[in-house]
Amino acid sequence: MKIIACYKWVLDEADLKVEAQSRRLLTGRAKSKISEYDRNALECGVQLIDESGGEVIALTAGTGGAKSSLKDALSRGPAEAVFVKDEIMAQSDPAVTAKVLAAAVRHIGEYDLILCGEGSSDEYSEQVGIRLAQLLGIPVVSFVNKVQVADGVLRAERKLDGGIEVVQVQLPAVVTVLPDMNTPRIPSLKQILAAAKKPVKELNLAGLGLDQAQLTAKVRRQTVLGTVMERKGIRFRGEAREVVQQVLTVLNKEGLC
Amino acid sequence: MSTEERFDAIVVGAGPAGSVAAYCLAKAGLEVLLVERGNAPGSKNMTGGRLYGHSLEKVIPGFWEEAPVERRIVNETITFLTGESAVSLDVKSKQFAQAPSFTVLRSEFDSWLAGKAEEAGAMLACGVRVDELLRQEGKVMGIRSDEDEMLADVVIAADGVNSILAQKADIRGELPAKHVATGVKEVIELPRQVIEDRFHLTEQTGAAQLFVGECTRGMQGGGFLYTNHESISLGLVITAEEFADAEERIVDLVEEFKMHPLIQPLIEGGQVVEYSAHLVPEGGLNMMPSLCHDGLLIVGDAAGLVLNTGYMVRGMDLAIASGEAAANAVIAAKAGGDFSKQGLSSYQTALENSFVLQDMKTYAKAPKFMENHRIFGNYPGLMEEMMVSLFSVNGNSAQPVRKSMLTSIKRHGGFMQLAKDAWKGMRAV
Repeated sequence: MKIIACYKWVLDEADLKVEAQSRRLLTGRAKSKISEYDRNALECGVQLIDESGGEVIALTAGTGGAKSSLKDALSRGPAEAVFVKDEIMAQSDPAVTAKVLAAAVRHIGEYDLILCGEGSSDEYSEQVGIRLAQLLGIPVVSFVNKVQVADGVLRAERKLDGGIEVVQVQLPAVVTVLPDMNTPRIPSLKQILAAAKKPVKELNLAGLGLDQAQLTAKVRRQTVLGTVMERKGIRFRGEAREVVQQVLTVLNKEGLC
Repeated sequence: MSTEERFDAIVVGAGPAGSVAAYCLAKAGLEVLLVERGNAPGSKNMTGGRLYGHSLEKVIPGFWEEAPVERRIVNETITFLTGESAVSLDVKSKQFAQAPSFTVLRSEFDSWLAGKAEEAGAMLACGVRVDELLRQEGKVMGIRSDEDEMLADVVIAADGVNSILAQKADIRGELPAKHVATGVKEVIELPRQVIEDRFHLTEQTGAAQLFVGECTRGMQGGGFLYTNHESISLGLVITAEEFADAEERIVDLVEEFKMHPLIQPLIEGGQVVEYSAHLVPEGGLNMMPSLCHDGLLIVGDAAGLVLNTGYMVRGMDLAIASGEAAANAVIAAKAGGDFSKQGLSSYQTALENSFVLQDMKTYAKAPKFMENHRIFGNYPGLMEEMMVSLFSVNGNSAQPVRKSMLTSIKRHGGFMQLAKDAWKGMRAV
């Protein structure tokens, strides 16, 4: 089985700071990482391969900075990495990202399964996987918590608000995975060393037959500001019984119980 | 044991000592693996804040042009603190530029230095914990990390003050509390211009200040303040042994230190963006394990290479020099095909012939001298009293300076005691 696992190289939210007055995000000292849920996608792919053989290709599209993600991604088990590098990705929206990834997937050629995280840990728009499937003309299964593959058929558990839905789909397909589907591995020393020797294919937009004009993001980000959570600061005093009653009243009013 | 991969050298720990060792080895064309426990080099490391540049200058000439150093120190201050007062010796000299020192923040600096090693050809593996050394008939053959074993002719232990490798190899036992100090530091962010105004600095220049006295409540140790580009590193170092019996918590001491009337205006309006703590090896030669073994060299903090003389604290410059010396020894050992203790012994010789062990020997008495409580308890008060009486005019009839000084000295332990301590102090440093 040939699996393509997509990932996004994002700023580590733990390093983000919010400027107190303007609420502007300060990203100057922020490091980057592989988006959390995409690690689940990579892990899912590698586990499927461990069971039934084949190989995983890690696919990412990003600016030059994303190059440092390749070793990390490869140390998580994929056999090779494909990196679409273009500065346009800094201004990308989900539609553009999906177009670029779709072109890269076509470039890769044959595949059985494409895995994506449900959403990226920076923007979490939950669109790229679905748009990618639409562009490729293949089915997509979202909110996936569990997968099994047998005889070219994928059986997935979707974790939805109302319960768990089990679906079957003929491969090839796109699957977007949830964070609790697995625990991404912490690469071992040998896996890290092996990663340095795995092949990396670097592509650009021209090489994929894409031209800039098709890739103008329709969504334009005007500003990004940090949110400030104001505490209610309500204090209850009195007899325990009364206090409980007051707390319940307030929670009720807030729709919290 | 799988032997698919084998390195000439494995360096454990990507701090200054480890990264410099890996850099020198890779530059000489050796196959080097540099293993770091943190997710990125520097993420687990800590310094008060200052790098004396000479030893890195030797390895990477003009390194500060490209390295993420913060400011070049042009102003040195030593301050004796009492509860509300301070007596300082403040030195500003152009001559400091001849052997420059720099304030640094380790997360950036260590990443850069490890990057240099990687550029030179070393293989860097981060987020990897080394569990033990592989040994065969006493000789170190490589490392084990979880289930992975990796072989090398030599392992360089650059794994810091609490060197697990040295301990597991029975080279050193648990660190006794008297050989280590606890260092705590806050990085306080302030606008660049504010820092430059408050400390009388220009764009690239910086100030370093050490404190003795009330900030440690008279316990052995001191305070420090370093200016970075857009932050101030402020903290305390207190001997772990004393601290074990103290009622104070070190976080409270840091808060009090920050509230001292001398410090408070310097950090006013600043925001604490980082808080860290680390052990500092301060036992000097007394804690130094033997550094050369069959297939193993020990460098940096793991080797106890820190000097605290009271008026300066050095570690990184010694670490860097030890990393370079270890690399040279490995290169020589490879040429001779002998990685035994004997074959690697040029490391020890190189350290002995360089400032590293010579300085350690010169200051060998400093740790003992610093155990003297009068330095941290009595003398800051004495300094204050003498200086206040020197500069005060209060309408009482003036006493001759000599007389008022002697009165103060008597009150703080007497002249003989002071003379003895001064003599010991001069001999120790």
